[in-house]
Amino acid sequence: MPEPPAVSADDLIRQLDDADPEARRVAALGLEGVAGAVEPLLDRVGAEEQPAVRDAMLTTLAGHDTDRVAAGLAVHLASEDAGLRTAAAEALAAMPVSVPALVPRLLEDPDHDVRMLCARVLADLPHPEALTWLAVMIKDDPHPNVVASAIDALLPSLGPEHAELLQRAVRRFPDDPFLRFTVEAALR
Amino acid sequence: MTSAATGTGLAKAEFEKIREYFYRRTGIQFADSKRYFVDKRIEHCVRAAGFDTFAAWFGALRTGDRPGLLPELISQLTVNETYFLREDYQFDALLNSVLPRVLAARGGPDRIAGPVKILSLPCASGEEPYSIALRLLEEWPHIDTVDVEIHGADIDGEVLERARHASYGERSLQRVPAPWLARHFSPVGAGRYQIDDGIREALTLRQVNVCDTAAMRSFRDFDVVFCRNVLIYFDDLSSRRAAENLYGAMRPGAYLFLGHSESMSRISPIFTPTRLPEGIVYQRPTGAKR
Repeated sequence: MPEPPAVSADDLIRQLDDADPEARRVAALGLEGVAGAVEPLLDRVGAEEQPAVRDAMLTTLAGHDTDRVAAGLAVHLASEDAGLRTAAAEALAAMPVSVPALVPRLLEDPDHDVRMLCARVLADLPHPEALTWLAVMIKDDPHPNVVASAIDALLPSLGPEHAELLQRAVRRFPDDPFLRFTVEAALR
Repeated sequence: MTSAATGTGLAKAEFEKIREYFYRRTGIQFADSKRYFVDKRIEHCVRAAGFDTFAAWFGALRTGDRPGLLPELISQLTVNETYFLREDYQFDALLNSVLPRVLAARGGPDRIAGPVKILSLPCASGEEPYSIALRLLEEWPHIDTVDVEIHGADIDGEVLERARHASYGERSLQRVPAPWLARHFSPVGAGRYQIDDGIREALTLRQVNVCDTAAMRSFRDFDVVFCRNVLIYFDDLSSRRAAENLYGAMRPGAYLFLGHSESMSRISPIFTPTRLPEGIVYQRPTGAKR
């Protein structure tokens, strides 16, 4: 199997607008490590309609793991497109260098859906503070669905030391049966 | 002497150094839970290369003073332990469920254009691709009429050499039925058997890192990919890259087998899980949209 001929970064950036989704997907992956491709990729990722192309763009962007990429992807956590906001959360979870600086802002986001996705990011983010942030969400977040998401994210790391934190969350939302169920299941 | 050379394991800082270095070179990252495994393998590398200290060995590794050190490190830290017909239910799925669907999708066994292409990655020392060949030769009714290409690829050049030589001991061959052993292998002494030339020569072998997007571009149009028990060792980003590269290597509608403890849903949403009677496989979607 001969190696395909090398294509320049400029050609690959142009190829991001190709009518053929496979050409766009290949271009997005081929731009791995090309700093000049960050802005073209961020410009297109939100509008890309083909999920496989979008995921290739997100994989390449996640590889940069810079503040600019993290901020550029975080805006999609509020997208109306469920596929896009979920895919953006998964990409952010693979960016342990730049995402931690964003977390305090995400924890305070007025949109509780964004905070729920933040819990999802923290579930997979390989960072020593991730569990602490999830505990803060469980302790302080005003929305029961966010608290339940944070508990769900914390599940693999739950220990006896978290029992009081979880029980306190139930006491904060005494009328929420789903949260009560989540905590009971977690403590079982 | 440092801890690695004295057999007491790596110091934490040494472990962090080698973990970071190995990740940057291969995209493979070891969790803290793999510390004991990594310690033992590094200890072997330091001793085998004749160094007294981890620092001296690591310095030579990083500067490239001894070109053989990195391949040996990769060989030690990647998973090469395997045997013929391992996780055989997936080969059942290949024969009974996947290949019939592949043939149907490509026009049927009498009208198919071009070969059915199967990739084993990582193929290690060849047990997996040769197991596929054996199952097809022994059990697939279309083997005499449909052209099949089996390819093996691995990051480790040393295991690929072993795959080319294709000589195996009792441990590797324990699950191979005696009649198959008699038909397709020849004894080469010391309890070892070599697989027949015809099968060896039919297997295409290449060295590649599945996370290397540029190198993986030359893998194209596979109908079936076996990528078992390796993604589990990758970090999030590397496993995403590997998934994207495997996707690119597959035809639309092609099938991907992962190891029994692995799930693509934890890695990437680009594949469609498909439930077969024998278990879950993953498909590259046929349509433009998922």
